Amino acid sequence: MSAIPQLQDDFVVIRRPSLYRRLVEANGAWRVNLNLAILIFIIVLGVIAPLLPLQNPVKPLPLERLNPPSAEHWFGTDTNGMDVFSRTIHAIRIDFTLAISSVVIGVVIGAPLGAISGYYGGRIDDVLTRITEVLQGFPQILFAMAVLAAAGNSLINLILIIAFYNIPVYSKMVRSVVAPLREVEFVQAAKVAGNRPIAVVFRHIIPNALVPVFSQLPLSCAYAVQLIAGLSFIGLGVSIPTPEWGAMIQNGASQIVFGKWWVSVFPGLGLFFSVWVLNNVSDILKSLVVRRA
Amino acid sequence: MLDTTREWGFFLARRLGFFVVSLILVSMITFGVTNMLGNPVFLLVGTRYTEERLENVTRELGLDKPITERYINYIGNLLQGDFGISRYTFNPVLDDIRGRLPATLELSTYALILGVLWAVPAGIIAGLRPNSLFARFVDFVARAGVSMPGFWFGLLCIFFFYAELHWFPAPLGRIPRQVGAPDVITGWYTIDSLLTGDAEKFIASLRQLFLPAFTLAITTSPSTLQITRNKMQEVLGSDYVRAARGFGLPARIINRYSVKNILAPVITMIAMTYGFLLSGTVLVEVIFSWPGLGLYAVDAMNHSDYEPIMGVVLLSAGFYLFIYFVADILNALLDPRVRLQE
Repeated sequence: MSAIPQLQDDFVVIRRPSLYRRLVEANGAWRVNLNLAILIFIIVLGVIAPLLPLQNPVKPLPLERLNPPSAEHWFGTDTNGMDVFSRTIHAIRIDFTLAISSVVIGVVIGAPLGAISGYYGGRIDDVLTRITEVLQGFPQILFAMAVLAAAGNSLINLILIIAFYNIPVYSKMVRSVVAPLREVEFVQAAKVAGNRPIAVVFRHIIPNALVPVFSQLPLSCAYAVQLIAGLSFIGLGVSIPTPEWGAMIQNGASQIVFGKWWVSVFPGLGLFFSVWVLNNVSDILKSLVVRRA
Repeated sequence: MLDTTREWGFFLARRLGFFVVSLILVSMITFGVTNMLGNPVFLLVGTRYTEERLENVTRELGLDKPITERYINYIGNLLQGDFGISRYTFNPVLDDIRGRLPATLELSTYALILGVLWAVPAGIIAGLRPNSLFARFVDFVARAGVSMPGFWFGLLCIFFFYAELHWFPAPLGRIPRQVGAPDVITGWYTIDSLLTGDAEKFIASLRQLFLPAFTLAITTSPSTLQITRNKMQEVLGSDYVRAARGFGLPARIINRYSVKNILAPVITMIAMTYGFLLSGTVLVEVIFSWPGLGLYAVDAMNHSDYEPIMGVVLLSAGFYLFIYFVADILNALLDPRVRLQE
């Protein structure tokens, strides 16, 4: 389904196919629609969670601890007697907010760093590339534990540490787009025309990095959600009673050997499913990058 | 080109240089971030303290000195094998680590072996027949594995295979207490029990190992699987394979050539997975009460004791860099094209 040339008066206008069209072409309509629909559904569910007729996610019911799933508590109750269904849905809010904010900070710092290192090359580039490589081999969970133990266990620190892991991802990516563009004619022309380097980078070079960066965003969010849940699971970051998947799984972890599976399984499903969909959406968006190359 | 001993010497020296520089960078970042953000004094003095006590403890810990001097002291101690003393086990951190490292190494090595035994053949077969049912299945497993939080998958395994089916023993450490640990030779229970010829202990430790190793294999093998499959497809579509086919070479030989050609990226990926595993076991160790480095670090963190965490972070990062260094050399040995780039 390529673009159809349309006759308008005497001109042949070739429209560039829309973004959605190109995605469908590369991935098949079924895959694109399903994954986007699920992602939008999850996000909307998170946004409107307080408006839904759910039970109070943070209200402990001492008489209803560890009740199995029933008509009243669809996903059962946890060790504090809180409703697992309501908590699993409310957890979308905190998990996605933390993940998105940390990724955004990572992009805002990482992308310009990559642009500078790719544009100027030379010594700066060498140093930044080396630091990037080292950071990518970092034992992330352990390092986060060290930092949170030293700097205090707060949500801000959690966001910052995950942002810190995202910086090299984006600086490396933007650098790989920018470096080969340095010598390309339209960039040279912009330079010769007397534009300042900053203007050249922002107006002529950075736009080329937009597609790869955007297709990476859901993947980074998926990874950030996993990391947040993992850290909350060992008692860092988010803690009970705030509804968060990792902390909820932790709440049920000691019950699972007794066959009380629902406390951990449902929040885990929420986590697994969200990460899966984010990964898929990233894969779908990556098809745009490949087609451009 | 790496034809002469001299050129190999240069190559090794350069890689070694990278390795050392990276190690220094890692130690600087870890030390810098933990020491500039927090102040361990408050952990020791508690909430009720006098100015005088605060000053004394600060001086005792050497925290009144400038950060550069503290860093140099720390590195100096590290080079002498002194990682500091744990504030809750009261042992030197190095001794603690030495006792727990074999547990983590054993777990991650078995996980790596399980993962590679599945990922490489499956990736090759899926690459050979990209549209087959098997390829789709492999793709599904890889996607699920990437998205699967390891600690949750571990819990599911415990629920099904221990709580419901009783196929595997309780997730409580490396060997059941009634069986007892084998005599320490290497610290690896499976090897030690074989060396002492104790079949019962060998089987008991293998059974204990299986679930955590399987969990880690499922969550860490997808990257190897995907790179094997993609490279295989790439090689099969390449000109030289088409030429070989045109000459009428039998499929068996063509496949052998192709597999040789995907070795370098696959080895690099396996190495990276192994490097990642040493620290990636943390959450799974917690689930299975596996007495390794990860559980040690988590315990230390719960006791606000960060010298052990620092030690484990540095060790894991160093291990990763070391594995990477070895993989670089291995690639140069195995793949002539890598040698050509040098």
